[in-house]
Amino acid sequence: MLILAIDTALDACAAGVLNTDSATMIGQQSLPMQRGHAEALVPLIARVIAEADISFEAIDRIAVTTGPGSFTGLRVGLSAARGLALAADRPVVGLTTLAAFAAPLVGETAADPILSAIDARHDQVYFQVSGGDGTTLLRPRVAPIDEAIAAALRFGAPRLVGNAAQILAARWPSDAAPPVSVDAKPAPDIAWVAWLGAAVTPENSPARPYYLRPPDAKPQIPVVQFAASPSA
Amino acid sequence: MLRRARKTPDWRQTQGLNLATDTASLVLGIETTCDETAAAVVERRSDGSGRILSNIVHSQIEDHAPFGGVVPEIAARAHVDLLDGIVARAMQQAAVNFKNLSGVAAAAGPGLIGGVIVGLTTAKAIALVHNTPLIAVNHLEAHALTPRLTDALAFPYCLFLASGGHTQIVAVLGVGNYVRLGTTVDDAMGEAFDKVAKMLGLPYPGGPQVERAAASGDAERFAFPRPMLGRPDANFSLSGLKTAVRNEASRLSPLEPQDINDLCAGFQAAALESTADRLHVGLRIFRERFGAPHALVAAGGVAANQAIRGALQQVATAAGTQFMIPPPALCTDNGAMIAWAGAERLALGLVDSLEFAPRARWLLDANVTTPAKFANTRAGF
Repeated sequence: MLILAIDTALDACAAGVLNTDSATMIGQQSLPMQRGHAEALVPLIARVIAEADISFEAIDRIAVTTGPGSFTGLRVGLSAARGLALAADRPVVGLTTLAAFAAPLVGETAADPILSAIDARHDQVYFQVSGGDGTTLLRPRVAPIDEAIAAALRFGAPRLVGNAAQILAARWPSDAAPPVSVDAKPAPDIAWVAWLGAAVTPENSPARPYYLRPPDAKPQIPVVQFAASPSA
Repeated sequence: MLRRARKTPDWRQTQGLNLATDTASLVLGIETTCDETAAAVVERRSDGSGRILSNIVHSQIEDHAPFGGVVPEIAARAHVDLLDGIVARAMQQAAVNFKNLSGVAAAAGPGLIGGVIVGLTTAKAIALVHNTPLIAVNHLEAHALTPRLTDALAFPYCLFLASGGHTQIVAVLGVGNYVRLGTTVDDAMGEAFDKVAKMLGLPYPGGPQVERAAASGDAERFAFPRPMLGRPDANFSLSGLKTAVRNEASRLSPLEPQDINDLCAGFQAAALESTADRLHVGLRIFRERFGAPHALVAAGGVAANQAIRGALQQVATAAGTQFMIPPPALCTDNGAMIAWAGAERLALGLVDSLEFAPRARWLLDANVTTPAKFANTRAGF
């Protein structure tokens, strides 16, 4: 199976093609990037497809990160992935950035829990906790940094991963068991996005945005008083 | 349904050049610059006439109504959720396969950047799969070229575009050749209508509500200012008028229903008189610089206002030109106008790279320099 993976949710613009039969990435590119994904992504996908030396017909599935991350960034990736899927008539699946960060640490024999965390600004993180074998211990959520640490510690000293791993490590309480490891990366490895994409189905992992935060908008309040309710 | 697909695989190479002798084309258009998620397929025949094969528009009005205006983040979220489904419906209804498209066009600005990014990125992805040319269309240009789709109108003509985001008088001289004769220096006209409605407690979108309330109001009760009246340039200003309405409303508070009607009537009359004067000046400038226009064309949601429409008709008659207004569905934001503008550009070999950057601001007339005193205002649009 050939999987085209796309990630623009965080500080990278990345795409890659995984051949699951040979277990190799036959094309991939990842550019560190804080803004400009909308300009860079589609030409980058074109280069990756050329490097893999395949056509879009050959691709079996498209996988894309859905967030949490930059609202604009994740929409760039999702728009491209869903546009490609529509025009090429191929299925598209969505993976969270938190799962993609955690994936490399998951193993049958690994016991320590994994705290996967992404900087959500305003002293908050998006995070999830999973067991060493990948089972979910705490579903993804957004919380203040100290609360996230406290919640994770209930499962024992974790391995920290994600772009907020270093932030969490710096805030780790001195009276708690220290993190087992700290693995801070600006964005998930695109190969793991592809591998996760191969493992799920479009039904249980739809390519839909995973914001974890509502839009910042408040319903209107009238500025003048009304004698009676105005006619609609 | 689909007669031709005579594009060669290396069509992409023909940037800036028109190598095709027969320029008939089949173009998908995507519009996501504000609160409509829209896609359409339009055919442009080699004689330059056009035909709409499908035109799907999803309005997000209900999503934004509780907030009394378009919330950019809510709009962007809705666009990414809906757009691929809307495109699929447009293609299905047109009975066109992606392989057979001659071009994929998207509104690349000006507008709310979150939505523009979704539409343009989706278009780029679709273009990439079958190596179809991408056309990054200026949303304002699409409004400007619509009468050529609906009525095969010949250049040059004068466009009055008034919507929630734009208020402009534009000389349309050719594809890609536009001169902006006037613009608003602050609020867009539709925006002013919506804000007045909001401050008077009328539901969103407020423009039609203001028009309705004005119908049973007394326009003479309040002496609202007529902004810009008599000025030699053709620019608009609406925020002072809006503030005058707000001050009057606060003074009267609490408001009786008749107060609201009278305030709406007074506001609309002032906006209308100012608009007529601005267009009168705009048409005079047009004639001086470019000769007689073939028509005065109205576009944008504000053109749905019957009172304003009547005033435009009078202005056109006084200036000795015909007044034209595309059907309502093509006056407000839609995908067909984007597809059509894309087809017109494609016929001239004007295609864009997949790196094209979405633009929140994009002047229709690239040569226009915004006067310094308006540099931080809506005139930048």
